[in-house]
Amino acid sequence: MEEKIKIALAQTSCKRENKAENLAKMEKATTKAKKQNADLVIFPELSLTGYVVRDQIYELAETIPGQSTKIIENLAKKTKTHIVFGMPELSEKTQSTIYNTAVLVGPEGFIGKYRKMYLPTHSVFEEKRYFRPGYQTAVFDTKLGKIGLIICYDIFFPEVSRLTRLKGAQLIVCISASPAVRRAFFETLTVARAIENTAFLAYVNLVGIEDGLQFWGGSRLVGPNGKVLAQAKLDEEDLVICDIDYADIRPVETFVPTLRDLRPELFDKLKSQAENL
Amino acid sequence: MKVYRLELTPSVLNLDWQEVETKIKRFIKDYVEKSEAKGIIVSLSGGLDSSTVAALSALAIGGSKVLGLMLPEKETFNAKDIEHAKNVAKKFRLKSQMCDITPTLEAFYKTIPIFDPTEKVCKGNVKARARIVYVYYYANKLNLIVCGSSDKSETMMGYFTKWGDVAADIYPIMDLYKTQVRKLAQHIGIPKEIETKPSTPALWPGQLAESELGIKYEQLDLILYGLEHFMKPQEIAEQLSIEKQLVTKIKNRWLSAEHKRRMLLTSKLEYRTIGTDFRLPRSNY
Repeated sequence: MEEKIKIALAQTSCKRENKAENLAKMEKATTKAKKQNADLVIFPELSLTGYVVRDQIYELAETIPGQSTKIIENLAKKTKTHIVFGMPELSEKTQSTIYNTAVLVGPEGFIGKYRKMYLPTHSVFEEKRYFRPGYQTAVFDTKLGKIGLIICYDIFFPEVSRLTRLKGAQLIVCISASPAVRRAFFETLTVARAIENTAFLAYVNLVGIEDGLQFWGGSRLVGPNGKVLAQAKLDEEDLVICDIDYADIRPVETFVPTLRDLRPELFDKLKSQAENL
Repeated sequence: MKVYRLELTPSVLNLDWQEVETKIKRFIKDYVEKSEAKGIIVSLSGGLDSSTVAALSALAIGGSKVLGLMLPEKETFNAKDIEHAKNVAKKFRLKSQMCDITPTLEAFYKTIPIFDPTEKVCKGNVKARARIVYVYYYANKLNLIVCGSSDKSETMMGYFTKWGDVAADIYPIMDLYKTQVRKLAQHIGIPKEIETKPSTPALWPGQLAESELGIKYEQLDLILYGLEHFMKPQEIAEQLSIEKQLVTKIKNRWLSAEHKRRMLLTSKLEYRTIGTDFRLPRSNY
């Protein structure tokens, strides 16, 4: 495993319902990132299709592995990079059960996927209308370290990041489609999740306007001590290359030993209280 | 359990006006570019809302791509309003044109067998709907996006003409209450005399929005803000030291006007129904 890696925060906008154009954009960004020696390129939530696609999701969803993941796998092989991107995933067992999924591929092909657990269905969001929630957190042991995947609203629920960390994630990748009115929440939560888990957190948000929703960008890499190590532009496309040195985790783990100090008995209490809210 | 209440003071309506301006300009520019239109048309009355929308459009895409269409008619003609509209056009360097719609209106009045000149609302709505016919003619002919000027206060209250002044492609200030539009107008440099003059839909002579609504916008906006934030009428009335009856009246008016805001209602008969369960993106760009 590499101790130092370079990641690319590929903050893109999407052409809605146009996978070919979005795939072409991913290829361009990945090639550009590779030229700057990026090992891992991260794209936003539902970057394959756009976020506000509503009923069109049934036409757009694909199985994983499937046609689009094959294209991204080939891109990863060709560029010798790892890539994370978001797409609507069609269940292999039914014809219209869809998940909001993050996919991780590497130079050797498909590595794994994560199905979003917390689906916002309030305000402008209607994800539960379209998606089935995932039931598993996801951490993958890769050449670039142990990478955990979470998606957008999951970050409001510390247990998702915590579980990925307890499974060993050193880098938590959060892909997102967050509208501008929620910027302050994400700026705080990305830092909080990194600190409380003493892990790196790479947040990659969408930009552009979809049905009046303005996505704010502001993708960032946060270090295990909560320091924002790199930040993409607000409101416009950007490609930010930044460095992760996993050696930074150890001193923080001793300085703020949140993992050593975990109190598992509280989790039982949390469960019983949550069941009786 | 003690419930902590939202404090309903004028400061709740404060926003970062620079940020609001930026977001609205980006919204306008993005829509025009993606729809491959040549620009924007605004029905420019010389009032606060249309002046603000016209100015924001000009700031977003350049005044040369914005057409302010003045549509006066003889009953409500007000030279001051025309002067104000022209001032805005000049200051923000947008193009303007004027069409006197009086002959069109008279033709309507003459050819409607049941026309009753004393029914001022019916007659006034003809004016609002006639104006939009002109606006959409220009939009079709010149490939322009119609920018609506409706604000949140009027839209929530249903204080507009169905299929009339509210008809547009985009509504850049519809998420701002009237008093917030005034602040935004001030921020972008709309002349003071426009910002402070009383609002009127100009459907009949002497018509004033606040008299018709029966409440000052400063108070109305706080009531609507409270309703928007799920506050109960009792709570709003207590906080603003007003009668609960007034808040209930406003609430009922807001709720009963939903038919003017959410159109295309049919009876559910088939698998996916227009207006209720077709949920499609507005466009694929």
